[in-house]
Amino acid sequence: MKHFLTALTGRRGSHVLLASLLVWLGTAVAAPVTHAQMDFSLDEGEGEGTTEGEGETFDEGGDEGGGGEDGGMDFGLDEGGEGGEGGGGDVIADLAGGSDGLSDDTDRAPRETETVEEIFAVQQIYALRLNRVEVAPSASFTLNDPYIAHPAGSLAINYWFTNVLALGVSASWFQWGQPQNRESDLNFFVRRSTRLGIPVNEWQLGAYLNFTYVPFYGKFAVFNEFIFQWDAYIVGGVGMMRTRPIPVIDPEIRQFDFQNRVAFNLGLGIRVFVSRFFGVFIEFRDYAFLEKFENLEVEVQTDRRNNPDTWLSDTTTFSNNATVQVGFTIFFPFNFEYNLPK
Amino acid sequence: MSRILTVTTLAAALLVADAALPANQAHAQEIQITGPLAGQPAVRRMRLYRKGRILLEPNFAFTLQDEFTRTLFAGLHAGYYFTDWIGIGLWGAYGVVGLDTGLTDQITAQGVTTDRNRLSLPSRAGFPDQTGSLTWAAALQLEFVPLRGKLAIFQKLFVDTDFYIFLGAAFVGVEERADVHLAGVGETAGTECGGDAAAVAACLQTSQTARASRVAIAPTFGAGLTMMFNDFVGLNFNWRAIPFSWNTSGTDESGDEAGDFPDGAIDEDDRFLKLNQVFQVGIMIYLPTAPEITE
Repeated sequence: MKHFLTALTGRRGSHVLLASLLVWLGTAVAAPVTHAQMDFSLDEGEGEGTTEGEGETFDEGGDEGGGGEDGGMDFGLDEGGEGGEGGGGDVIADLAGGSDGLSDDTDRAPRETETVEEIFAVQQIYALRLNRVEVAPSASFTLNDPYIAHPAGSLAINYWFTNVLALGVSASWFQWGQPQNRESDLNFFVRRSTRLGIPVNEWQLGAYLNFTYVPFYGKFAVFNEFIFQWDAYIVGGVGMMRTRPIPVIDPEIRQFDFQNRVAFNLGLGIRVFVSRFFGVFIEFRDYAFLEKFENLEVEVQTDRRNNPDTWLSDTTTFSNNATVQVGFTIFFPFNFEYNLPK
Repeated sequence: MSRILTVTTLAAALLVADAALPANQAHAQEIQITGPLAGQPAVRRMRLYRKGRILLEPNFAFTLQDEFTRTLFAGLHAGYYFTDWIGIGLWGAYGVVGLDTGLTDQITAQGVTTDRNRLSLPSRAGFPDQTGSLTWAAALQLEFVPLRGKLAIFQKLFVDTDFYIFLGAAFVGVEERADVHLAGVGETAGTECGGDAAAVAACLQTSQTARASRVAIAPTFGAGLTMMFNDFVGLNFNWRAIPFSWNTSGTDESGDEAGDFPDGAIDEDDRFLKLNQVFQVGIMIYLPTAPEITE
């Protein structure tokens, strides 16, 4: 109420009172967070709107009547730099501070209680994840397989049961057209130059149960102008891969069906928030599983050559599929509430 | 189809509505805009780690996506930055170790030499000696730092960080199998192997270990992330690409002018364009040790 009293003592107090009422009504229907913030501005900044606070630090302003004639809210030189000019854009602060010259004619009662302005070391996290569901479609390509490409379309759904930890599922689909079309020239060159057949496998589907943990978060300034929030996360889980060999050693006889392999994955990603519910991400992820390749040897006897038990290699190979995944993420619900105002 | 269209339309409408209608909850970013910090610079008292400073960065790097040989580099990166967001850099690295890939090991163990591929693979045991390798690399580059920020690690440790990209010209020392051709194929490059079968075999065996060096000039570009430990020491990660053509396998891959394969010669026609990639980790040291700090 202090700003109303102050306004009433001015020459144009009625106008200011009306404006204050309108602004107050406007803010009354806004969110609690906004209300808290506006209260912060009014009570702390406006009440002792003398010029003494101009250019001083925030703490000093609080003690001595911080605010100044323009803004009423001044974080001081260290933080706000320009003193009273720093309040530009804060309607309530401008009105209360008497930017129309009102302050020169206003006698303000000394503040009876000391005001302590709080500067929070850690601001509110831009986008909370707690109790939200994240849906993240993405596309991926393989980094470390020089023989055949494994492009995939993926979808991940995560539930964030803390702000930094989520449990979710993901699935990737790898089977697009004929696998021979995804083989690299290297396969052909090696076969031609060294007479060495390279067994390659085709993948169909990967499905995983994952945990996601966010150990890093931060913000970037672009040319000291625009700030955007980002985080880095570690993701890992267990699931299965469906794979089968592409017959290259004895393609006339051998045909393979897809088999399930137990698989693990571990990755590191970076997510940039475009808004509080939408972001884009890029992640490096390694999928590891035990793979069965085509047998490099062909049986001479026809009956044994036709026996599927001889088509696969006796040994298993530990395969790593190092991928880069690029996609976007949507958090539901779109809005959320902070527990604390700041 | 209509169901998909309906769901898509609903989803789009929800997104638009959420963006267009006034939110019940005020957003933190909006509070800052209308609050006491309105009109203030995005960052205050920012340390300008790069502006007017010289960077010296000893580093370790290794090649990625190699087909036959992987190279480990020890190098040095020096730079000078006119502002906090742009500068010039010089990168040099020497290949200290070359490692055979699994494919090279497989060819060494199981490759087969026939009369038709004897030029490409004179002997399987000698295959590692014929593969190409990178011996050194240097680059002059323009470095651009669009993103500057800070990073919280486990919500405890806060470090200043920036993201940068670079573009420049690279000079790469390449060592490949020396040019060689079979007699009577109409090629002239390098050593000619002719005579009886034994003489040709002996000549090709010798050619398998013969090396030729050259300097490849190529564009280079990449991106990196830095993290500062204090005012003048930091950690740098970057990825670099240097696309140029070379013969990584030392084999005959091209046909003759009529398109018939093989052309019986190993020469510059057998070089193919590769996106050579290098990943680097380095310790950055900025001089002078005290950075400029903004208001």
